[in-house]
Amino acid sequence: MTTTEETPRLPFARADALAIAPDYEALRRQAPVSRVLTPAGDPAWLVTSFEEAKEIFRDKRFGRSHPAPEQASRISHAAIQDGPSGDFDTEEQEHKRMRRMLAPAFSAPRMRALGDRIEELTTRCLDDMRAAHDAHPGEPVNLTELLAFPLPVLVICELLGVPFDDREHFRNLSERIAVMDGGADAQAAMTEFKDYMTGLADAKRANPQADVISDMVAVQADDPTFTDDDLARMGAGLLFAGHETTSTRIAMGVLFLLTDTARRDRFAADPEGEVNQTVEEILRMTATSGTGLLRYAHEDVEVAGTRIMRGDAVLISSDAANRDAAAFADPDEFDPGRTPNVHLAFGTGAHVCIGANLARTELRTVFPALFRAFPQMRLAVGLDDIAVRVNRVAGGVDRVPVTW
Amino acid sequence: MKISVDTGKCVSSGQCVLLAPETFDQNEDDGTVVLLADEPPAGERDAARQAELTCPAAAIRLAEA
Repeated sequence: MTTTEETPRLPFARADALAIAPDYEALRRQAPVSRVLTPAGDPAWLVTSFEEAKEIFRDKRFGRSHPAPEQASRISHAAIQDGPSGDFDTEEQEHKRMRRMLAPAFSAPRMRALGDRIEELTTRCLDDMRAAHDAHPGEPVNLTELLAFPLPVLVICELLGVPFDDREHFRNLSERIAVMDGGADAQAAMTEFKDYMTGLADAKRANPQADVISDMVAVQADDPTFTDDDLARMGAGLLFAGHETTSTRIAMGVLFLLTDTARRDRFAADPEGEVNQTVEEILRMTATSGTGLLRYAHEDVEVAGTRIMRGDAVLISSDAANRDAAAFADPDEFDPGRTPNVHLAFGTGAHVCIGANLARTELRTVFPALFRAFPQMRLAVGLDDIAVRVNRVAGGVDRVPVTW
Repeated sequence: MKISVDTGKCVSSGQCVLLAPETFDQNEDDGTVVLLADEPPAGERDAARQAELTCPAAAIRLAEA
């Protein structure tokens, strides 16, 4: 925001990786729902207050499709979360089908069963960190590269049935589809990503395994309206969402714990006892993309006195809602002791993140294991030296150098 | 503390199960909520309250007995 007359344009600047942009609070003081311009320059409503964010997440009059997609506000020139998706007439039905298809694979019992495997994969990543440290004693270890990125990728690969050896390929595709001004290259990467998933689906069709891509192929055999393109898009979406988001939370969680030695020591002294609430607080406070989650009004709706017209774009900022003083005392304080801690990191309502349990299981495994292995770990650089990615849909940081 | 669930509203997020595994479970077929106990065990009262508050579909109700 430069002047009060100009419509503010997303994304807003923030002081460091752990802060959120002060502009959110400035807007929220004026109204729960504000007029903004998207990074692409189109008009949208930005929701910054907790109550209204929750209300809109749960309101069926908002969806991801648009009544006239060619007229819809664009959010960015990435290839995901960039504009409308799905068919206006069938969105709800399609969404229900998707949830029904995927719910068993992401259920809490499956996550509990996966727990031991996640523990093993975590140990493997921690061994790699130790080896890197021993090979070059005194030099920082990049936790992003050796833990925050590979662990969620290993896990989502197992769950979906994607070869881990392909990681450099789909990491490159994941990065390119999510560049906010990616344009033609982002679209080309999405096409390539879908081709890759189609190839995997063909392999599962010939040789089904106990994994989500095989489940989708089986659903498709019974329901031909679930097209190859639908399957490829969903597979790419799950692979992207399954690693970028959790990776960000691991990196940011480490930053939250290491920027205050007392906080680190408290956690390291009793990781098992502290972990659940610490994870919820990391989820609440981690600031991500800078645009929020996208919805379009499917009819005229009044929210907190603001009239939102059919077809208008609405960006729900979970980052801002999770720091709303009306919902959280001292919202900018990292306080694992807060209870209950009802944040919107996974959204809420019918579209709530299907991977929430997976993310929680990974996060509840990784932090105790990490601080049991390296209780004296510390940041090797200042917080100001941790660059925040501003041009990426999922946000995040490029590197977290640590030592011990 | 009495609990009731509305499986018709449930969106199978399973957040309640991870929060309070002795109080809630999920149906293997469609992921909808299964109530294991009418009352949360003593150690899960706060967790059950958190499950009610965080349920994405508002499908869980707790009433003080």
